[in-house]
Amino acid sequence: MNKAYYITAGKLSARGFDDLPDELVSTKHMIYSSPATLDFNSPGAKGFGVKRAGLAIPGSVMLLISPGCCGRNTALLNELGYNEKFFYLLLDDTDIVTGRYLSKIPQACEELCAELDYTPSAIMLCCTCVDALLGTDMERVCRSVTERTGVASVPAYMYALTREKRIPPMGLARKSIYSLLEPQKRRSNECAIIGFFSALEDGCEIYPILRAAGIKKFHEIGRCKTFEEYKEISRANFSLVLNSEARYAAQDMQERLGMPFIELTRLYRIDKIQNMYRLLGQAIGAKLDDTEYYSEARAAIDGFIAKHGRLNIAVGECIDADPFELALALVEYGFNVREIYGTVGERNFVFIRKLAEVSPETRIYSNLSPTMMNYERDIPLDCAVGNDALYYHRDVPGVGFNDEAQPFGYRGIVLLMSELDRAIEENRQIAEVGK
Amino acid sequence: MKKLLKHISPLAPDDSGACSVLYELGGIVVICDAGGCAGNVCGFDEPRWHTKRSALFSAGLRDMDAILGRDDRLVEKLVKVCGQVEGEFAAIIGTPVPAVIATDFKALGRMTEKRAGLPCITIETDGTKLYDHGEEMTYLRVFKRFAVDKYEVKKGRLGVIGATPLNTGLCRADKLKEKLGSDRWTDIVCFGLDSGLDDIRRASECEMILVISPSGIKTAEYLNEAFGTPYEVGFPRLYEPAEKASESMNGKRVLVVHQQFAANELRTHFTGCEVDCATWFKLDKRYAQQNDFFIDGEETLTEMIAERGYDVIFADPDIRRMLGGFGGKFIDFPHYAISAAMNE
Repeated sequence: MNKAYYITAGKLSARGFDDLPDELVSTKHMIYSSPATLDFNSPGAKGFGVKRAGLAIPGSVMLLISPGCCGRNTALLNELGYNEKFFYLLLDDTDIVTGRYLSKIPQACEELCAELDYTPSAIMLCCTCVDALLGTDMERVCRSVTERTGVASVPAYMYALTREKRIPPMGLARKSIYSLLEPQKRRSNECAIIGFFSALEDGCEIYPILRAAGIKKFHEIGRCKTFEEYKEISRANFSLVLNSEARYAAQDMQERLGMPFIELTRLYRIDKIQNMYRLLGQAIGAKLDDTEYYSEARAAIDGFIAKHGRLNIAVGECIDADPFELALALVEYGFNVREIYGTVGERNFVFIRKLAEVSPETRIYSNLSPTMMNYERDIPLDCAVGNDALYYHRDVPGVGFNDEAQPFGYRGIVLLMSELDRAIEENRQIAEVGK
Repeated sequence: MKKLLKHISPLAPDDSGACSVLYELGGIVVICDAGGCAGNVCGFDEPRWHTKRSALFSAGLRDMDAILGRDDRLVEKLVKVCGQVEGEFAAIIGTPVPAVIATDFKALGRMTEKRAGLPCITIETDGTKLYDHGEEMTYLRVFKRFAVDKYEVKKGRLGVIGATPLNTGLCRADKLKEKLGSDRWTDIVCFGLDSGLDDIRRASECEMILVISPSGIKTAEYLNEAFGTPYEVGFPRLYEPAEKASESMNGKRVLVVHQQFAANELRTHFTGCEVDCATWFKLDKRYAQQNDFFIDGEETLTEMIAERGYDVIFADPDIRRMLGGFGGKFIDFPHYAISAAMNE
């Protein structure tokens, strides 16, 4: 039986992105359903997959058109209050062979509208691998639904088969949820924040920093309570794209609504965050003052290290961060990042190169590798960050750091240090009680 | 519209049933999908995923694999994984993707056996049917493939077929064994639950087979035909609150909704009641009473309830959602294949 496969940052960097080991390339091996994979493959379970993301439009409902197996785990979202928003049109083998189900979709939508005691703002038609392979024209089906019901209809493509394409399913989902916005007169002091389905954490410095630069109103889909509020998003003068998967949606909004966009990245390296705000200021023609927030984040890091020392940390990818960028940040702050569980891509390979310079012995594992079912820790570890890292190391303190409220910028650092401190303290207290 | 679910989520599908049977048998199980189906199994329908280790993987198919029919790549990956994790056999489970592109599972199985040097069984599930269909197919394939030798019958050994979490809501066999243990049955094996492939190989040692779900009937018939092993049907461990509630229903008109053998078992606990059983899953007429019925959609169930005027319904808690107008009493009788509620 093989041990879990890993490669050190130093060796991986030396090989280069064009020579990744097969175990780090998901198309070259079977996929192990580790907790991270479940987060990825079964996003009905938690977080935002296509199904939940599709319902980000306030007042919308979803019809999932698929064999029963595709909708099974949607029941997990019931706990979050989604049970009255999901409807299912189940396909059998004859449906798939003949395509007869396509003509039933408008009737199904009519029936589901009759079931509701309100008129939904939109009906999201969620289709799956079956329609990806059949080449179904979902735009046309949506038009038929709108004609029959009088309710706007939008496709939500849950095409797992196309995950590694230029525009992955979550990129398409982001485009879909903004597709009902209509052009209107834009207001120079309003800004849209896009990229996440839930809102930024309330204490994020981006709000006061931009307010000081004259922005009076922020539009975020995660804060929209009504369809009317959602429609106001297109009033924004520009949008800030905080997740690269939203780029396609931003391009579409630029084209349809004339709304330009600026792309930012969620980072944990404090100097890079500082640089990001400097560049953002240049882009919008204002000098942004982030001194206070920089100092607060710096103090959080220094305070944590003074209290707990330079801990051995494992970093996972089920987290509100790029695990390689976060690991690099932690190493730069003085921690020992011993292991990372992550998916190596072209975008984050740059962090691996830098990590190789400062921490060449850091081990890199792929959550998706079948060998991970044999994973056993053989290094000293003080704490873990990320839900997957916590799963592998249930005996050490740690934080999932994968909540609904999205951390960003300096605030992300402050929150991470504070949550980690709390977890370590709680663990220490439990250990003392145990003695 | 029969195939429109307005109140409940889809029920456990056939590929989940197949995986449930294979989970503890020590094979390398590959779900032939893009990732979502394996996620549904491991993240929802297989409660043992976080407590018992199993070599269950997704093939990670991509659009070009499907369009170009690159079965050789799938076999290549399977051969590779056989060198990485231990397995006594390989199994390939179908999903909608291979169904749409009409994958030749038999050929896939032969190629795998040749390249990996392991016995390989293939289960042509397609995700459109229900878990019991997948279980039935898988039990039969596994027993026909591995339970081939005739062993001497061991007195007091009882073999249980159908003991999956989807049927029982249990992740361990101890509670079933506790209920079944007696002077007569001193050695009980629940195939596939706290038991591996070797017990299946030696299935002919059983003095009798107890089938606790209709999905096990065909396999019991095979064992009867091949080794002369007799079988009976039943359901040894009911959800206790439902069992207790059944004792105080005198004179009521009752509907019990579950998998057929669990529903039948609960029916035996009522006295002085008119009790009908209904199921979303296989309804074997040999074990049904005259008014029992198959539920082929939400509307069928609500119409039958209105038509027959039941006073009390015993069903999975999720069913409650579709019974807005029902004025009688609703008693929870959880079924994992509906709400994923455990019975522990």
